Formats: sequence, C-alpha cells, structure tokens
Amino acid sequence: MWQPLTDWHQTKYREFTAFVARTVAPCAEQWDRDQRIPDAVIAELAQCGYLGATLPREYGGQGWDVVTFGLLNDAFGRGSSALTGVLTVQAMVSMALLKWGTAEQKRTWLPPLAKGEVIGAFALTEPGAGSAMHSLVTEVTEHDGGLVLNGSKRWISCGQFAGVFLVFGTLGQRAVACVVPREAPGVRVTPICDLMGFRAAGLAELHFKDVAVPAANLVGKAGFALSHVAPVGLHYGRISTACSALGLLRGCFEESVAYAAVRKIADQTVGDLGMVRSLIAHMGTDLEAGTLLCHNACRAEDGHLPEAFEQTLMAKYFTSRAAVRAASDAVQIRGASGCHGSSPVSRYYRDAKIMEIIEGTTQVHEDILGKMFVARAGKVGTPTRSA
Amino acid sequence: MSARDPNAVKTTIRSFILSSIAVADLDDDANLFESGIVNSLFAVQLMTFIEKTFAIEMGMDDLDIENFKSLNATTGFVLRRNGGPGG
Repeated sequence: MWQPLTDWHQTKYREFTAFVARTVAPCAEQWDRDQRIPDAVIAELAQCGYLGATLPREYGGQGWDVVTFGLLNDAFGRGSSALTGVLTVQAMVSMALLKWGTAEQKRTWLPPLAKGEVIGAFALTEPGAGSAMHSLVTEVTEHDGGLVLNGSKRWISCGQFAGVFLVFGTLGQRAVACVVPREAPGVRVTPICDLMGFRAAGLAELHFKDVAVPAANLVGKAGFALSHVAPVGLHYGRISTACSALGLLRGCFEESVAYAAVRKIADQTVGDLGMVRSLIAHMGTDLEAGTLLCHNACRAEDGHLPEAFEQTLMAKYFTSRAAVRAASDAVQIRGASGCHGSSPVSRYYRDAKIMEIIEGTTQVHEDILGKMFVARAGKVGTPTRSA
Repeated sequence: MSARDPNAVKTTIRSFILSSIAVADLDDDANLFESGIVNSLFAVQLMTFIEKTFAIEMGMDDLDIENFKSLNATTGFVLRRNGGPGG
C-alpha cells in the first residue's frame, strides 16, 4: 500500500484489489492461454467506471485524481498486465483528446470512452518507426475538404477490439494526429498473436488504405502531433505502465515470500536459505523504492507540475526494470514449479519484459533522463539570436 | 508575482527555461526549438509550467510556434492571455 494515503484512497485501493482478486487473478492464466480477454470482463471494467478513471465527470468519467489512477493500475498489474493494458491505452487516448481535442471532439468521443462504450487505441508505432517517432510514414493528405490516410501501424495494444484509433501520421512535412473510427472504409485490422508476454492485450496491425475522415477529426494543429499531442498520451501511458509494473513486482514479492515460508528443503524452508533471503531482500527493497517513485510521479501530476514528466519517466524506468529482475528471481525461487502455468510467476516473467519496452524502451528513458541530468549539471554556452 | 508585469513574467519564464536546458544563459529571442538545446519533453513541460504558474488553460487554439519559439515569444503569449501590456 502506498503511503501516506487518505482514507478515501485506501478505500478505493481495497475496492480495486478486491475486484482483481475476484474477477482478474483467477482467470488471468486462461486469458493468457486464450490470448484474449472476454468481452464481459471489459464490460465489467466499464460498469465499475475504471475505463473513465481520469476523465472529468462532465464527460461521464470518474474524475479521480492521478494517485487513485495509479492505485488502480497497481492493483490490476498484480492480477494481469494484459488487462491493465486496456486501462493504459484508454487513458492515453482519452487524456490526449481531453487536452487537445476541439469542443466537438470532446463532446463526441469522451463520453463513450469514459463509459467504456468505446475502447480507444493509440496508433503511433509503425513497422519502421518505434522509438524513432519522427520517422512516421503514414501519410495524411487533404482531399475534398477532408483527410485521407494511407499507411500501417504495428504493435498497437487493444487494436483487435478498439472502436476508435488515435492515428499519428504526416501531412506534408507536418506531424498530425487524427481520430479514425474502426468502421471507416479502408481500415483493416490484423491480430498479432503469439507474443512472449502481454498475450491477451489484443495487439494488432492496423492498415489504412484511402481511409477518408472529416477534417474535423484532426486533433491539435498540424505540426504539433509529436511535440504536444503524443507526449500527453505517452505521459499517461507511462504513469499507467509504471504502476502496472509496480503491481507485477508486488505479485512477485508476495508469491515469493509465501512460497519461501512454507516450501521445505530437508528440515528447513526455502526462506531459511541465505541466498533466497538475498533475492527477496532485493525484491522487497525495489518494491518500496518503486512505490515511492510512482507515488511521487502521480502526486506531481495531480499538482500539475512540470516535473511530473521527469518523475514519471524515472518511475517507469525503475519499476519496469525492477519487475524484470523480480520476475526472474521469483521463478528462480520456485524452481521448476515457477516455470509452469500453475504459478503466476511464469506469466509475470514473460509480461515483465514487455513493461520494459512499451511506452518508451528502457534505453529511450535513459537517453531522455541522462540528457536532462547532464543539462542541469553543465551549461555549455549561450545560443545565438535567431535570424 | 503579477502575471501582467512583463519583467516579472519574463524573469520567471527565463528561470524555468534555464533550469531545463543545457545552456548557462539565454538570449531573449533565441529560438528554443531550432537550437537543439531542449529535450523531447520540453514543449509539454513548458506548457505545464505556464499553465500552473500563470493560471492559463492552454488548448488547441494556442498551438502556434510563434507563441513559444523564444523567451520573448512566450512572455508575450502569457501577457496577452492575461490581458497585460503584451496583449
């Protein structure tokens, strides 16, 4: 549990963990095997208001603060990274639209997103443009007063079942983002199966062939999609992923200490072994550190502080890497049984690696954070006046 | 700090920018986004700083590079939005 939390936050966290224990944890292995989350589960998330957690009440959302959103993702990350991915992507699309959408776009799209009547997908990554966002080749052209899209997106979480896509491309030399309904003629969705982890998150390739949408579907102004629109979505994606990885780390810790306390080796328990205690000590300390980083990042976002972006990068960077270490150690502590689907740690092991890649790889985080830290330490001259 | 006092607004923004970039001083008209001195999150960090510090809610209509390309441009934007002498 994060500390210090208000009574209300503690109540909500208990609600979230009870939901996960009842509805998510018992089924997560099956969803992983099926590579699919049942529609009824998504509907239950919607019913509880979890898909509109961060949207204001005026649009039908819950209007929860970001600390509560973080707790939601922490609780769900303990149960299923794949299901948490739905919370992640819904927030990415919703918050980008809330910030940069027109009044008409907000009226049209935010209420169904808030109620979970529509699932959103954040269509940024392309076959040739992952970490290098500026290499987008999806082409958006103006035609008869509207927009026409041509191109492909890959590794799009929730793409299999999303009803609306926030698609990034280029209009001439300018980066743009626009809303594309799934049913628009020319949209084709191809499921991506057999991933190592995140198997039930509904990843897909999206293909756009002469897809026409109204010019009013442009989100933000042309030229600002990568500098302003995408960063808002990715920021919420990182908050969600950081807290989801924290939940996974929590799962590794709880499974490991429970196993170590009862599993016998001759006349002692696994937890009596110094080498195992060492692994659990690392895990428990990472859990505490990750909790503080996530809490700080969420509080900074609630305070609308510019440092929230940096603190979120650090939280996501730390918890995703710690989750990978913890999942590996959790499997190691359990031995052969940790390699089998009867224990959640085998799934944690596969899912944890995905946390290090989505919403910016570990190396992208290191590059941005390293540049920030160095910039502060060493001032290297004065830029000249522009012509 | 008055959000209508040009000097106070400029000093506040200058301090924030200098805390975020790899230079020791800043020409008032230096183009922040063409000089390669800012990181990929600087645009949204600057936006958040302006919103928080000067109680301005930015939206799509404010997305114009002329509003943020330099210290002077950003100062002018804040003053215009707050009905100060730059408006």
